[in-house]
Amino acid sequence: MVYEPTRRTLLRSGAAIAALSSAPALIGRALAQDADLAPYKAAKIDWQQFKGEQITVAVIPASYFENLITLAPQFKELTGIDVRFEKIPPAQIRQKSVIDLTSKTGTYATHAADPMYFALYAANKWVEPLDTYLADKSLTDADWFKLDDVIPAWRSADSVGGKLYGMPYDGEVTIQVYRKDLFAAKGLKPAETLEQYMSNAAALNAPSDRVWGAALRGVAGAGQNMYIYPSIFREFGGDWMKGGKLTVNGPEAEAALAWYVDLMRKYAPTAAANWNWPDIADAFSQGTVASYIDAHSSASVINNPDKSKVIGKVAYARWPTGPGGKRTTSIWNWGFPINAALPDKKKKATWLFIQWAASAETQARTAHRFAGPAKRSGVNRSSIWRDPDYVKLMNGFGDNFVEATMQSLEQDTDVDWRPRVPQWPAIGDTMATAIQAALSGQATVKAALDDAQKRIEPMMRG
Amino acid sequence: MTGKRLRIIAVMAVSLIFLLAWAFPILWSVLNSLKTDQDVLAYPPKLLFAPTLDAYRDVLFGSSSILPNLVSSMIISVGTTIITMVMAVPAAYALARLRFRGKKAAGFYVLVTQMLPPVGIIIPYFMILRNIGWIDTYQGIILIYLSFSLPFAIWLLVSYFEDIPFEMEEAAYLDGASRMKTLWRIIIPQVRGGIAVTVVFVFLNAWNEFLFAVVLSGNTVRPVTVAMFNFVSVEQTLWTKLAAVSVLAMLPVIILGVVAQKHIVKGLTVGAVKGGGRR
Repeated sequence: MVYEPTRRTLLRSGAAIAALSSAPALIGRALAQDADLAPYKAAKIDWQQFKGEQITVAVIPASYFENLITLAPQFKELTGIDVRFEKIPPAQIRQKSVIDLTSKTGTYATHAADPMYFALYAANKWVEPLDTYLADKSLTDADWFKLDDVIPAWRSADSVGGKLYGMPYDGEVTIQVYRKDLFAAKGLKPAETLEQYMSNAAALNAPSDRVWGAALRGVAGAGQNMYIYPSIFREFGGDWMKGGKLTVNGPEAEAALAWYVDLMRKYAPTAAANWNWPDIADAFSQGTVASYIDAHSSASVINNPDKSKVIGKVAYARWPTGPGGKRTTSIWNWGFPINAALPDKKKKATWLFIQWAASAETQARTAHRFAGPAKRSGVNRSSIWRDPDYVKLMNGFGDNFVEATMQSLEQDTDVDWRPRVPQWPAIGDTMATAIQAALSGQATVKAALDDAQKRIEPMMRG
Repeated sequence: MTGKRLRIIAVMAVSLIFLLAWAFPILWSVLNSLKTDQDVLAYPPKLLFAPTLDAYRDVLFGSSSILPNLVSSMIISVGTTIITMVMAVPAAYALARLRFRGKKAAGFYVLVTQMLPPVGIIIPYFMILRNIGWIDTYQGIILIYLSFSLPFAIWLLVSYFEDIPFEMEEAAYLDGASRMKTLWRIIIPQVRGGIAVTVVFVFLNAWNEFLFAVVLSGNTVRPVTVAMFNFVSVEQTLWTKLAAVSVLAMLPVIILGVVAQKHIVKGLTVGAVKGGGRR
């Protein structure tokens, strides 16, 4: 989720250059694309063993995948394997890959997968556990690949029953984003607790000056309001699988949803009930929202010199703690699984592709060492997050960015923050609708949750 | 007199409200497509701004140009429309005019194919096309589009054919014209309006189709409806580009509508003046 200036904006002289140089870290050095294959050849495997194979990879249109596509010729040179990329919008990539997997057509050797779908994939054996590939010495050089270096939170999110099914390629974590100038003017600090987050929002809320106190994703969707609400639910002490039974209408759920509704109704712009993250970031970049909690990667949008009015005024902090003293952030990553419907050789060729894409070298080449303007903020390697070059680049987004992101990823994640069951797609939608009904005032918090519980129970029996 | 004038004013006012409700989203898209990324987010919304064609330049000639997608859409829509009309006109004529066994059943069956919700048949379609290797091909998508455009066109056209008095046809036969010649020379000119309406609807449905397109298309054949979605990225919504693509995607339909309008109006008035079919 990195700001990507177009050729036009880069060529535009004067004002644009001044604006760009005010955020120098975003531009980085103009590097020639590193095409040296030696760092890959250091791995003690035969990269060429599946020469001539062809695979199709489905990704979403996003700069972090564009960068990977740019480097694909290097993979071809390294392995002799042809990769054809297909870009599919995020909502449809789930549909299309599920259709492909159910019909066992093997169209997509791998695809950018939603971590919440792995329970469904694994239950149906649509994708293969990656451990066999990781353990096979002819396919993986463990010392070179360094699986442990891949952000553990994202790996657990892509695992089912302790087995890894998808290799994280790019990801995010939700953090508190705030306007340090507005906070300083009122003598406020970023919230340590949800209570403080509410009181900060109250203190900063001034709709008559077109500044609202806070905003959270409100729009209905398993990856929208049902991405943020589960964090609040868990912080209020909620447990999805209470006594082994999926429960969404307990007292913790009521308290959590009530907090969400309260914050949104009182201190967020009315329209935020229908906002997704790009809308929140757009509003924040125009100076109309004082704070929000959302993906760390939205930093690139609010630092986009083409449209942001708040560059230099942004700082970051971790999620506030809930009443139980716990922080639970929302995490996301796009992981690459291996389609089980493929012939054996293609599976292995696909693994070589996954290994290449997730390797530290490719991660660096698509991030701070990428020759183009788009630098990734969702690299999958802890080691890169400690690389001074990368840290310097990322800190251009504002105060405390790298610290907040890393601490959240290391300490605040909870892999069961959403109910990880094969029925997730339907459950996610049902919950999203219930949350929206409560946010919009169509139903009381209790009625909305009771209704969701009633709908979810038969799904779990099936 | 004043009563009549009042009524006219009231009708005009109501029409204006409807017109605004219809025109606003389109005007807004056009305005946004001419703004810069900064202006598009400005509050209060800017009505006066320095217009720029940057968004159009980007979506047409930039790195993610939608020109190939517009071409894809055009091939699919024109292909679907031509094949549909070539088959639907004789089929509708037969259903309206000929007496043959199973006519009622055939007519009903055409309608039945329209009763399946598209979502229910998308996986079978995917598997069939996949098995014959027609995923991501023009023939594959056009074939699937025909499955809903043909029944629709036949049903629309049947009612137009039924409106034509049989006497006109008889007169042609008496003058020694064959059935095909009669259909071509006498009947079709009479239902020109109906054909124009059908063409517009069939084209429009194919042009705007998304559900099948997204599943059955790929990199080679990707209509503009699917490509448009890429401007609502996970990273940010590219409002100006999205607006520019929307306007561009509207153009062919608007042009077709304007061209067809002439025939639609004429088709209706020809009948009225001569009193044909309404005696």
